[in-house]
Amino acid sequence: MRPESAAIIRDVLQYIERYGNSAADSPAAERDFGALALQLFAFQCEHNAAYRNYAKIKRKLPGQLHSWREIPPMPIQGFKRSALSCEPPEEALAVFTTSGTTNPELRGRQYHPTFDVWDASMRTGFRRFVMGSVPRLRTLVISPAEDLNANSSLSRYLSQAIRFFGTDGSGTYFRHDGLAADELIAGLQDCERSGEPVLLLGATFAYVPLLDRLQELDVRFRLAPGSRILDTGGFKGQSREVPMDWLYGQFEERFGVPRSGCVNMYGMTELCSQYYDDTLASGKPTTLKRGPAWLRPLVLDPHTLLPAPDGQVGVLAHIDLANWNSCVAILTEDLGVMRDGGFELLGRIGGAEARGCSLAVEQFIRSNEGNA
Amino acid sequence: MTAPGRGEGDMNKAIKQEPLQVQAYFLPPGIEADVTVAARFDTPDGPAELLVPALNEDKLRSIADELKRRREEYLASLTTADVVERIAAAAERWLDPAYPHRQLAERLLPGLTGYAADSIRLQLKRYMRTFRKKELLRFIGEELDDPLMLDEFRPRKSGGFSRAYGPELIFHVFSGNVPGVSLWSLAMGLVARSAQLGKTSLAEPLMAVLFARSLAEIDPRLAEAIAIVPWKGGSRELESAAIASADAVVVYGGGGTVESVRAIVPAGKRFVAYGPKASVALIGREALTPDRLNGTVARLAADIAHYDQQSCMSPHCVYVEEGGSVDARSFAAYAAAELGRLQLRWPRSALTDSEAYAIHDVRNRYWLEEAEGGGAAVYASPGGTDWTVIYRDVPGFDVSPLNRTLVVYRCRSLEDDAVPALASCGREGLLQTCGVAVHPQRLFGMAERLGRIGANRLCPLGTMLQAKAGWHHDGRFNLIDLLRFADIERGTEDDAEQYDPDFE
Repeated sequence: MRPESAAIIRDVLQYIERYGNSAADSPAAERDFGALALQLFAFQCEHNAAYRNYAKIKRKLPGQLHSWREIPPMPIQGFKRSALSCEPPEEALAVFTTSGTTNPELRGRQYHPTFDVWDASMRTGFRRFVMGSVPRLRTLVISPAEDLNANSSLSRYLSQAIRFFGTDGSGTYFRHDGLAADELIAGLQDCERSGEPVLLLGATFAYVPLLDRLQELDVRFRLAPGSRILDTGGFKGQSREVPMDWLYGQFEERFGVPRSGCVNMYGMTELCSQYYDDTLASGKPTTLKRGPAWLRPLVLDPHTLLPAPDGQVGVLAHIDLANWNSCVAILTEDLGVMRDGGFELLGRIGGAEARGCSLAVEQFIRSNEGNA
Repeated sequence: MTAPGRGEGDMNKAIKQEPLQVQAYFLPPGIEADVTVAARFDTPDGPAELLVPALNEDKLRSIADELKRRREEYLASLTTADVVERIAAAAERWLDPAYPHRQLAERLLPGLTGYAADSIRLQLKRYMRTFRKKELLRFIGEELDDPLMLDEFRPRKSGGFSRAYGPELIFHVFSGNVPGVSLWSLAMGLVARSAQLGKTSLAEPLMAVLFARSLAEIDPRLAEAIAIVPWKGGSRELESAAIASADAVVVYGGGGTVESVRAIVPAGKRFVAYGPKASVALIGREALTPDRLNGTVARLAADIAHYDQQSCMSPHCVYVEEGGSVDARSFAAYAAAELGRLQLRWPRSALTDSEAYAIHDVRNRYWLEEAEGGGAAVYASPGGTDWTVIYRDVPGFDVSPLNRTLVVYRCRSLEDDAVPALASCGREGLLQTCGVAVHPQRLFGMAERLGRIGANRLCPLGTMLQAKAGWHHDGRFNLIDLLRFADIERGTEDDAEQYDPDFE
């Protein structure tokens, strides 16, 4: 690893250490965040030609910026096109890829030369938003962990959650052939009997078939107080779509975990840090997402891609200091709105529909796929 | 003493204005309906509201029955010449700038559709000219050798006699992307002597209504066989009722609309669909000489700017041949400058968030390609999404997010590079108009190649949005597809003679 990389990693780790538990909006955190974000951007422009050239075309090279808010966010489609890595991509310890549901050939890739920063970010954020003052919990994972998918950021996240915060009885219940529901049920019954609080972790869509199965078997748990349920990622067409309120209602009914014990995580392969809703941290149910001090959202006006005023719906961009090796700022295809220092996630931004008889992009893609 | 009046007048202006109420429907006499406000929009004279009738299955059925009755009483007995004369007379009124309906349309459509007022004014009058009597006669003559077949049994060249009958009632589903696109369909339906039930889109429900009113001014009894009603597309109950009452269904719109209607039309019922289509422009090196360059760029840019590329005749992309006085990349820059100029003249409509983002997404895609050293360049309006020109150095075909987003493909030869790039779009039945600027010696060769892959209209640049009378709409007919024919077979008339008692 080049010495500049080691130096920047040190700076990011220091920031995480310093501001890990403090509110993101303290003036010092904000000032240091801005300085470090610009420093990271300059580092990336020096060592990542694809990002530098993109910034150059957009006339946003490091010397041309006045604030971290002006860092040109890399569109997530950029992660599909180029190896966005400051360190040589072929030397990466791991490469996380996006699920590539639309085109498996074209997956976004995030290169990880080391996991030092990723782990520090994950651990600090998880502690604040999920664990609180509890050091460890019996952690049961219902989605594929890293033993099944070495290229998934979520899988690694789930495995690390067990390593960092799981008690001995923790484990993963997703196997090559799917969810081991019976084993999971036995595990939960065990927890119920012993009165040990549980932390259930999984993709949002993974809970739907599990709940269906519990209903089929007419099984209900009264998990111990302090039990928590984390879901992430929405449905993505992987299960039937259900309203989140229904899901939370079911969590209470089937597991005995109240809404105030549930947390939704928002993460992406293209990010090395995660947002969470504040429910567990504050004890008040909310869908507003917040991140740790080194991860900040911007809502951009879809018409100009410039920061939108609070309260206006726009496209989400994220500035993540933990993305030291790829791009410190990324542009998503998610809609959101800023409120009370957090943001509300409003789903994917739609494609452009032609207003009448002209051919729309979606239609053309469909007809070509039909052809193939 | 201060003079009164002026200050008070200003005060009155400040008082909140009552919105102008616009009837977005046209019903035969005797049909009553509760009316609700469906949409509000702004006009230069203040706010306006669209009034639409409350509809249900029964109401729609009674409208359809009434239309059929009135058609039987009057429209069915008119001759082709009668109908042509009446439509032409209505259109002539629209060609008078002082005609109140035209003025109303010119005031309301910009706020309703978002398109620039001057662009709408220009396009509307060009469009209305295609309804002059000579054009209507051309249209009918193009499809029927003997237009009198619509009136009576007429002798055929092969012997015998034939007559054409139109449907009793046509149910039209109109799209709202281009103002007035509904009128052709209505006119053709009237020539077929059919009652007309038109479902308009709330995006542009006005022109069909205003034109029906013009027809009513010319001949109230004719207009009694027309009903124009907007509702939100996809209402299964209403659409099924309309389809059940009609004996022909005509649909304009995107793939989703066409498919959703097609799915509920019973087999055997006449179904005519004008589904989604894309158009392109092809520019030969001979149109890029120093004296022609500016004109070529201006004509292409006008085709992009009018109706913000929302028409199916608007080009998604242009193929620019090497060897002219400028290369394709410079052409892209010229086109960008011209779109910038047109933005001042005919400002682009406001977009929804997803429409705007789709443009940014495409820009980003090619900025990333450019950043990788790929052969792309992006010329984009600063700040917003007013216009975008993307240059690509290899010919291809990608659907534009529209709203003044143009892809310029460099190609060595239109015939060898552009046509193959369009082949898959054409084979899917999705290619419509090709605006061409080529030497006469190349025109027919190009037409042959483009025709073979599925294009159905070649036209000059700058007129892509103005199909001429007699064009084969999406490669099909305008009138014939609505008609059925009855023949008196050759010999029947001679045979009949023997039953005349006076026959020797």
